[in-house]
Amino acid sequence: MQLRRQPLPAPRPGDPDPAAPLLVLLLLLALQGAAAAPAGPGEPEDSGWRQDAEFPRGLLSQAARAALHFFNFRASSPSALRVLAEVQEGRAWINQKKEYKVDLVFTTELYNPEEGKEHLGKCSARVFFRNEKPRPAINITCTRLIEKKTRQEEDYRLYKYMKQLKNLLDVVSIPDSHGHIDPSLRPIWDLAFLGSSYVMWEKTTQFLHYYMAQLSSVKQWKTNEDAIDFDYTVLLHEFSTQEMIPCHIHLVWYPGKPLKVKYHCQELQTPEEASGTEEGSAVAPTELSNF
Amino acid sequence: MKWILFFGDLIGSSICGQEKLFRDQVFRINVRNGDEISKLSQLVNSDNFKLNFWKSPSSFGRPVDVLFPSISLQPVKSFLKSQSLEYLVTVEDLQIYHEIDSIARDFPDLASRVKIGHLFENRSMYVLKFSTGEGRRQLTIWLNSGIHSREWISQATVIWTARKTVSDYGKDPAITSILEKMNIFLLTVANPDGYVYTQTQNRLWRKTQSLNPGSSCVCTDPNRNWNVSFAGEGASDNPCSEVYHGAHASSEVEVKLVVDFIQERGNFKCFINLHSYSQLLMYPCGYMVKKAPDADELNEVARCVAKALASLSGTEYQVCPTCTTVYPASGNSVDWAYDNGIKYAFTFELRDIGHYGFFLPANQIIPTAEETWLGLKTIMEHVRDNLS
Repeated sequence: MQLRRQPLPAPRPGDPDPAAPLLVLLLLLALQGAAAAPAGPGEPEDSGWRQDAEFPRGLLSQAARAALHFFNFRASSPSALRVLAEVQEGRAWINQKKEYKVDLVFTTELYNPEEGKEHLGKCSARVFFRNEKPRPAINITCTRLIEKKTRQEEDYRLYKYMKQLKNLLDVVSIPDSHGHIDPSLRPIWDLAFLGSSYVMWEKTTQFLHYYMAQLSSVKQWKTNEDAIDFDYTVLLHEFSTQEMIPCHIHLVWYPGKPLKVKYHCQELQTPEEASGTEEGSAVAPTELSNF
Repeated sequence: MKWILFFGDLIGSSICGQEKLFRDQVFRINVRNGDEISKLSQLVNSDNFKLNFWKSPSSFGRPVDVLFPSISLQPVKSFLKSQSLEYLVTVEDLQIYHEIDSIARDFPDLASRVKIGHLFENRSMYVLKFSTGEGRRQLTIWLNSGIHSREWISQATVIWTARKTVSDYGKDPAITSILEKMNIFLLTVANPDGYVYTQTQNRLWRKTQSLNPGSSCVCTDPNRNWNVSFAGEGASDNPCSEVYHGAHASSEVEVKLVVDFIQERGNFKCFINLHSYSQLLMYPCGYMVKKAPDADELNEVARCVAKALASLSGTEYQVCPTCTTVYPASGNSVDWAYDNGIKYAFTFELRDIGHYGFFLPANQIIPTAEETWLGLKTIMEHVRDNLS
């Protein structure tokens, strides 16, 4: 299996700046009418950003992860999911509310690399962390990893494969205890990961990030209509609390169309509520994922 | 016989030594008549299942002990229930302790199994000791594994490491000279009750199995329970939390046994804790002053370790002090070790960085163990060369 490279430690603040791509990003935003502390369309209204030369270690990786979850969700392509390779450069600004704005450049790899094929991509992103509040605002652009036509064909091939799958309600625990994912079920895992990307983006904060640990059950798998209608539960591993968060996700996917997704994650039990489960954060509909 | 076919369908591919760590069990089964003895004998003697009588059926009325590989546990339990056969589970966690026994038996001049106490569920806690010389003055390395039960690559790596150590002694100059100057203790399963739980009930269980009075949430995070900056940042006072620190420091018997053993014995120079996942190599913080006095040296050693580890397959580890990583972890074992005069204290977070996470596939066990071995040797060589 191809090994994922751990992101290198962030460049130390104050280091010489070789950041051509970063400058391009800033220039673009400047051309949109931004000021010296850019605040373009869709960004938080607060101004008063000052550059933080000593931003917390891990902030850039945090931003990269959030940006990639958002990118994967927005791309809506289970055959072209990306993961973080390494953070190359970044800067951070902080405001009076202790919110962070992060500009960064990072490289990516394919989630499902093919043997012998190099698929390194590059992304520039701007991420706004609203302190402990979730749903960071993201602007991200990435270089093309795969030709659009190839990607569409691959998505359509996956779609046709998934359309003929049956008896998925028996699926329990992917991967199994020993990390095994049956190759015939790998596309289901990828589709589940795509839906989870939306959830993981929304839940990521400056302090919390997530990995999809396990697809724990399939509640519904409908392919009789055009789209794939997939209702399932996953366990998300939350850092740094180490909690396993069960999330119920319902997605509708058709190749080439934006993914529609709703979800409901369970909150951590407190000692007082130990007798029953506490239902957690509610459905978060947006114009991108209307149901 | 229909029921043999039934079992045959359910039992899959063969068990392969180091590739997987199953939990085998020994069942003590009461056989009441000749018919039951006959059925059981047929089941055990069938080639498909690799079962073993530990205590053979001689006559009915006396219990029979049978070793079942974990892959067949569920169908066996169902069968016994369907036949109304009474049974008792007598030995659990067989695989890892069996391997420790085997190493101690095969290399009696070097290895011995040391029992350090009993746990909450009455299991024993064993440490594997490697020593070439007598005398309590000999300086010692402690290798800790599986303190968080779901991190299976940790237990797997240390068991491989144990076997590798004894096999290479006398052949590899590095490990030979290390063992000639120092003892090594391997705690192959630091949280046995939790480990059993991951194999029977919940693969993602992290904590111990102790009960918390007054709460229906059980168990404590054993790596937040050590007496260093106890109940500080990165630990929780909520018993339902995965990082619950426990009622007080060393409240968990798993922790207390190790603390008492190390303090009573003394002479420990090095403490290494293996976890997963994230591919990090961390050295202590010095919670009181934010930077450990030996931070520079430890950082340098850690960088060499990461380089040695990466030399095998290119697996990259990030090096940093525990308190400035993505999460602080007050009450953890490595900071405790450093605080108690064990200078060379390191935490490894093994493979991977989130793709499989805790569910690292079996085919990565040996590559992980092999590269980690290079890192461990680097630490031990540095300790050997800096004995004071």
